[in-house]
Amino acid sequence: MNETIIQTNELTKYYNKGKANEVLAVSGVSVGIRHGDFAVLKGPSGSGKTTMLSLLGCMTRPTSGSITLEGRDISHLPERFLTDIRRTTYGFIFQQFHLIQGMSVLQNVMLPLYPTDVDLPKLKKKAEGLLEGIGMMKRRDFPVQGLSGGEQQRTAIARALINDPEIVLADEPTAHLDTALSRDFMAIMKDLWEKGKTVIIASHDPIVFENEYAALVVEMRDGAVRNVTRK
Amino acid sequence: MRKSLVFGLFVLGCVLFLAALGATSHVRVSHFLAVSRDLGDITATLKLTDISFSDDARYTRNPSQADIFSAFQDYPGSIEHFPSGSVTPPPDFTSLGAAMKVRGQ
Amino acid sequence: MSLNSHMNVLDFTLLSLLRRKFKNFGIVLVFTLIVFITGSILFLSYSFKREALLILKGSPELIVQRMSAGRQELIPVDRAKEISALPGVSGVEPRYWGYYYDLLVKANYTILASSGSLSAGNRLLQGRLPGPEEKGVAAVGRGVAKARFIDIGSTISLVSSAGDAMDFDVVGIFESDSELLTADLIVLGRPDVIRLFRMPPYMATDLAVTVRNETEAPVIAGKVRSRFPDTRPILRKEIIRTYDAVFGWRSGLILTLFAGALVAFIILAWDKATGLSAEEKKEIGILKAIGWETSDIIEMKFWEGLVISLSSFLLGIILAYVHVYFFGASVFAPALKGWSVIYPDFRLAPFIDPYQIAMLMALTVIPYIASTIIPSWKAAITDPDEVVRG
Repeated sequence: MNETIIQTNELTKYYNKGKANEVLAVSGVSVGIRHGDFAVLKGPSGSGKTTMLSLLGCMTRPTSGSITLEGRDISHLPERFLTDIRRTTYGFIFQQFHLIQGMSVLQNVMLPLYPTDVDLPKLKKKAEGLLEGIGMMKRRDFPVQGLSGGEQQRTAIARALINDPEIVLADEPTAHLDTALSRDFMAIMKDLWEKGKTVIIASHDPIVFENEYAALVVEMRDGAVRNVTRK
Repeated sequence: MRKSLVFGLFVLGCVLFLAALGATSHVRVSHFLAVSRDLGDITATLKLTDISFSDDARYTRNPSQADIFSAFQDYPGSIEHFPSGSVTPPPDFTSLGAAMKVRGQ
Repeated sequence: MSLNSHMNVLDFTLLSLLRRKFKNFGIVLVFTLIVFITGSILFLSYSFKREALLILKGSPELIVQRMSAGRQELIPVDRAKEISALPGVSGVEPRYWGYYYDLLVKANYTILASSGSLSAGNRLLQGRLPGPEEKGVAAVGRGVAKARFIDIGSTISLVSSAGDAMDFDVVGIFESDSELLTADLIVLGRPDVIRLFRMPPYMATDLAVTVRNETEAPVIAGKVRSRFPDTRPILRKEIIRTYDAVFGWRSGLILTLFAGALVAFIILAWDKATGLSAEEKKEIGILKAIGWETSDIIEMKFWEGLVISLSSFLLGIILAYVHVYFFGASVFAPALKGWSVIYPDFRLAPFIDPYQIAMLMALTVIPYIASTIIPSWKAAITDPDEVVRG
């Protein structure tokens, strides 16, 4: 299980290219992530971590350079295929959680698979199983806007896992949590990692990158890679 | 029950209700058609030309017939035809084949 | 995609709409009202037109009136002979009729000379019509009977143009099914009409001409006009067309009155549908980020438009039907029929034009769906990352 799952090559991303507010967010990044890696993108805010994570997660396309996922170049695939990859391969946990307001915890968790051929009762059972696993079952029918930050994040985690993703991506997951909750979060991530998932986290929190199982730490600054440590 | 099913049933119910209305409409129209034979008999026997919609003024009773009378007759407050009942000129109906071609005109 | 996934997306859409119950039910309510108003007017004017057409099918093909100084005058009866000699004319009969203003009930009646009896088995007349030469009897319409509280066997008293009272025994009353035609009629014998209006001898109100072939009526009208330049022929076709135009004009008037409400709704729908709120934009971004395809989002928006507009359309059209055909269009009939002392009291026959309903549906449902989908299109095709990093 040590072959490369994601490989980036001279990955560069400009926002608003050619306009006055042009920003170079990621510049010439070449990184390889292996199956079952626990990878951390480390760096201060504005260093390009989130953009890097977006690129890896097929949420946006690079301006130049390439990304290969399991040997397949996905950087220039049409939108439809990228969506398909997002749906089948990735689970994304956003910094702001991005839950749909006004809907219950359970509905939010079920959300990613609505437009598929899935049977709703089965999907519901699966979502309940995931909520059970992270101790959110008692909040099942709560509207998400009434939850605490930690509970919202757990909902977001359950939602990211509903499609059995191979790769779990998390953007600044501990930014809104206190130390105890951050440790809880890392325990969940560790658990996933131990089950064989590839975990990629962008963070500047020591709780995230200073631990024994963070096998790959990519340190970024000003859109470029400063340092790559592999344990 | 899932919500899409509820919505589907609602639409189906409305459509069925409309269909039922359509059926009653059919019954009532055929009743009217039966009555309309007798109505046609009255029209033909009495040589009537107009529908009795409104007789608030004499000239509104038989809109199709030229009249001896003018507006402001029984109810000077009646403003309906003042100063003109029309806003635009009447359309050209010659295509209906009802045009009168009069020699010398 | 299979049926199941479409149903799932619809489920989600309904769930999503229910989050803003107040707003969305409000839109459905206003939308239903608009369809109800438009549908009522369409039903009403269409039924009126169809009934008018059927009722007037038996009226004379051609009426010849004499004009004098631009006003209608009585026409000499002997002109009938000359007109009936024209080729294609099968008969000419003088009509004696006029209006009578009843000071007592402040209503206008139509006085008409009888010219024969109804065919046997006509169920719309209780009793009988006066004979053409009969004196002192009358048949009256339901409206007159109600206004003057009379029944068969009572007497109705009218004041003649000479100023003397004339009494008539009521021998017939028209049934209420015929009110659209007979509400204000008083049918008398010809001598009574002549005496009541003090018409000069050998003069009639106008002449009713029957022709062998209706397509030739305009030609005959032209001949009459050139033989008697002071006459004005009126064709049945023109009469029917007049009714078409009158109802078109009246329903247009009502629609104009409601145009304000219509415009307000269009602005509301436009604003709601096109101005995608920041929240909705964000939601679309989230859905895309977690794996919804652009087409799934468009489908969701399609369902959203369909759920609101189809529900409103169906409810509106049902309400309009019930309103017009079960409650006699109590809301709009006054505006469409106009004010009057003697109201014909009738139930409209529910003639339905499927083409009109289809048009109404096309004009309400499709634009609404389009205005829901189009603005979300742009949000749906942008990279989710732009919305999500927000």
